[in-house]
Amino acid sequence: MRIGILKAYILKEMNELVRSRLIIMVYLLPTMLLLLFGYGIRMEVTHARIAIIDNDQSHLSNLLTSKFEHSKYFDATTTFMDEGEALRKIKQAQSDAIIIIPAAFEKRLLKGQTTQIGIYVDAAFPSRGSTMESYVQGVILNAASGLIPNATNGSIVINQRTLFNQAMRDEDAIVPGLIGLVLLVAPAIIAALLIVKEKERGTIFNFYASPLTKAEFIAAKLIPVFLLHSLNIFILLLWALYLFEVPFRGSFWLYWVASEFYILVSISIGILISVITKTQIVAVVLTVMVTIIPGFMYSGIIMPISSMVGMSRYEAHVFPVMYYNHILYDVFLVGEGLASEKTQLYLVILALYGVILLGLGALWLRKEIK
Amino acid sequence: MQMMGMLKIDRVSVTHNKRIAIKEATLNVNEGEIIGFIGADGAGKSSLIHAIAGVIRFEGQITFQNSVYHSPSEAEKLKSQIGLMPQGIGLVLYDLLTVGEHLRFFANIRNITQDDRFNEYKSRLLRMAGLDKFVDRRAGNLSGGMMQKLSLICTLLHRPKLLILDEPTTGVDPLSRIELWKILDQIRRDEGTIVLVSTAYMQEAAQMDRVLLFDSGEIIAQGSAKELIESVREMTYVLTPSANLHSMSTLDTTYSLEPLEAEHISPTLEALFFVNALQKNRLLPPVEITPRDGDSSFASVVMEAIGLTKVFGDFIANEHVDIRLNRGEILGLLGANGAGKTTFIKMLLGLLSIDGGELSLLGKRIETAKDRQALKSSIGYVSQHFALYNDMTVRENLLYFALMHQIPMDTAIKRIARYAAELGFEEYMDAIPTELPLGINQRFSLAAALLHEPVILFLDEPTSGVDAIARAQFWQLLVALKEKWKIAILITTHYMSEAEFCDRIVLMREGQKVADDTIANLYTAHPNAQTFEEIFLEYYR
Repeated sequence: MRIGILKAYILKEMNELVRSRLIIMVYLLPTMLLLLFGYGIRMEVTHARIAIIDNDQSHLSNLLTSKFEHSKYFDATTTFMDEGEALRKIKQAQSDAIIIIPAAFEKRLLKGQTTQIGIYVDAAFPSRGSTMESYVQGVILNAASGLIPNATNGSIVINQRTLFNQAMRDEDAIVPGLIGLVLLVAPAIIAALLIVKEKERGTIFNFYASPLTKAEFIAAKLIPVFLLHSLNIFILLLWALYLFEVPFRGSFWLYWVASEFYILVSISIGILISVITKTQIVAVVLTVMVTIIPGFMYSGIIMPISSMVGMSRYEAHVFPVMYYNHILYDVFLVGEGLASEKTQLYLVILALYGVILLGLGALWLRKEIK
Repeated sequence: MQMMGMLKIDRVSVTHNKRIAIKEATLNVNEGEIIGFIGADGAGKSSLIHAIAGVIRFEGQITFQNSVYHSPSEAEKLKSQIGLMPQGIGLVLYDLLTVGEHLRFFANIRNITQDDRFNEYKSRLLRMAGLDKFVDRRAGNLSGGMMQKLSLICTLLHRPKLLILDEPTTGVDPLSRIELWKILDQIRRDEGTIVLVSTAYMQEAAQMDRVLLFDSGEIIAQGSAKELIESVREMTYVLTPSANLHSMSTLDTTYSLEPLEAEHISPTLEALFFVNALQKNRLLPPVEITPRDGDSSFASVVMEAIGLTKVFGDFIANEHVDIRLNRGEILGLLGANGAGKTTFIKMLLGLLSIDGGELSLLGKRIETAKDRQALKSSIGYVSQHFALYNDMTVRENLLYFALMHQIPMDTAIKRIARYAAELGFEEYMDAIPTELPLGINQRFSLAAALLHEPVILFLDEPTSGVDAIARAQFWQLLVALKEKWKIAILITTHYMSEAEFCDRIVLMREGQKVADDTIANLYTAHPNAQTFEEIFLEYYR
């Protein structure tokens, strides 16, 4: 590896990246993805329109109703209508849920008898529906324990679910996962373009016909993207900390080193694709396919890896995104750092990914016309 | 030590996409020798060039500088001694880098120590190429001729002992071509470099020490240009119409294996192609064109442009150019790369707006965008790069073009069948364009441009890179079209020998028209000129 040659090649690549305006994409794409997905994905439900039909009109039923009215999760209206009319409102999408308080609500409760509250939830979007359902149940349970401290268990029959515990903010869960997705997709796309562009244009002959070695050529393609994207590691961190206000409980150094390893993996994927494809368009489509889909599936945004079973569990372990995301969640939310053996192992696995993918790229790169 | 600089090529074969591209080529070249490769498109020249440059797998053995190699990886150790310039204008250049940056980059990737001696050599190359004033210009903004000169000097920077050039001058104007050869000659003499160069220009090949003729993957003849020309002298005659079945004719020459009762004329290297085709019994059907379906009695002045001007920013691409296209006339539009020919044609085509002057078609002035739309339906256009769809067969391409011009299906099918027969690509109707030789693609591009029976035909360098026989055939077609259809033909070309087949020549230089006359009148005006190339060059001195 001759440093002078590398410098010349890197200077040329940088020049081209700047003059072709591709540099804008290098910095716009990651930030754009983070902002779009960060604001776009919402698991929690706020301002659900809820209609309460209070058939009891008692002190306790009023207290329960006011709990709903004072919650940021609900826009509650208390009405008098029959069930049929209320259901029609749900059908017309004017209401998201209905709560029906029975006539003898207070009386039965005070007597320690079991009482039933009717809840209808619009579950056209199942996850939104089940979230609302558990919110409602949470509010009622919370109210019940406050209203009648001496009430025995089972006074109000509701199966409690913990989803309502929203100390866990959405951003905290989603943004670290997104960083894992963005740093997988963006460097890979740029890297994928670099070699295949020369093939498409014909300038690849400069490599074929010169004494340039394969290692030098790959290094010359890898280093510019690596340096440029290293800056994105910090840009994305700033967005996460100051825009999305995600806590950062772990080691900054661990975040940095793991991210550099991860970028290397991403670039290696791009280079590998660049080596096997012939046109830029195919290279881009292929890169998007092999990075975005697994990046999304196994980033922990949609579901945690630990809850995956069977095939998907194996698949998750094949893609590098899982290992990086484990470290990300650790540095943002947990803070165990290198004390965790799993983190140490995952760091090594990421490095191995980089080495193996680059090795394959170098192996498959041909210094001759196919 | 005499063996030191020798290049020995021993039974080299290249198989490309399961097809034998070159079979058992053998060649010995001495230090300082310059060898020309000629032959039709697809004859195996490029494959042999790639094998010698060590960029494609091959069988056989190549020895250079006493080192033997059998594969690209074995050739690696010699690559610092070899310079390759592959085929394609500006192929190895980076559009976004400047001339100066290219030189630095090429020097750096070859690890050249950039001392005073190197800088002196670099400036000398820049001066020879006439690029010293354009060091800060980006390669993407250079003309084709300048791109090729830049590619050449980039290839020369590391002072290769073996220089391999694949059609460096195709698509380059005569002026740039001469400059390119000057650089090459100088370097060869100074450095003792072996030069292997393929070319489509026979005048260039004639200047070389030795010429190799390629045909269907084999080297079928080699020798000095003089020896080769002597070998076919007996078969070359003045144009003798319908001589016999075993003859072939161009617009001014007839080649026959059997003796003819006609006068001999002095052959050029092009004769080799025809004689070889005759010997292999690859005869061409005579050109026959039937009159068109539509009317041929349109006005005698088909198109007239007066004072056409086009300005890009503060650069005047065309300045007050007058041109007239007459019915039944072939007009040759000549000029160096960057003289403004393409801009001019684009204005005539309605692809560029007109900044000054006026344009009329069949006596009607073209003013509005709607007029320009109408203009397009009266013009047939064959672009430099044949705008064909490479995912469709020839037949599908033609049907698609016919439908674009709203020709009824039954008329279109009949017309396509007729053109296929008359232009001679009938047997390739179900092939994909990329599988076909350039010469066939050129003919079927012509058919596509003629489907809507235009009154004007524009041809932008249709013959660049096409071999001699295909070119001769193409010109016969054009002449027949002109006579039968009375169509006006405007053609640009860099082959000065082709200019002689035009009825009238318009010469452009730096955006202005500098000559507009018939060939005969031009020869009269320039009594010292032996060939048309010399007349051309006089306008540039």
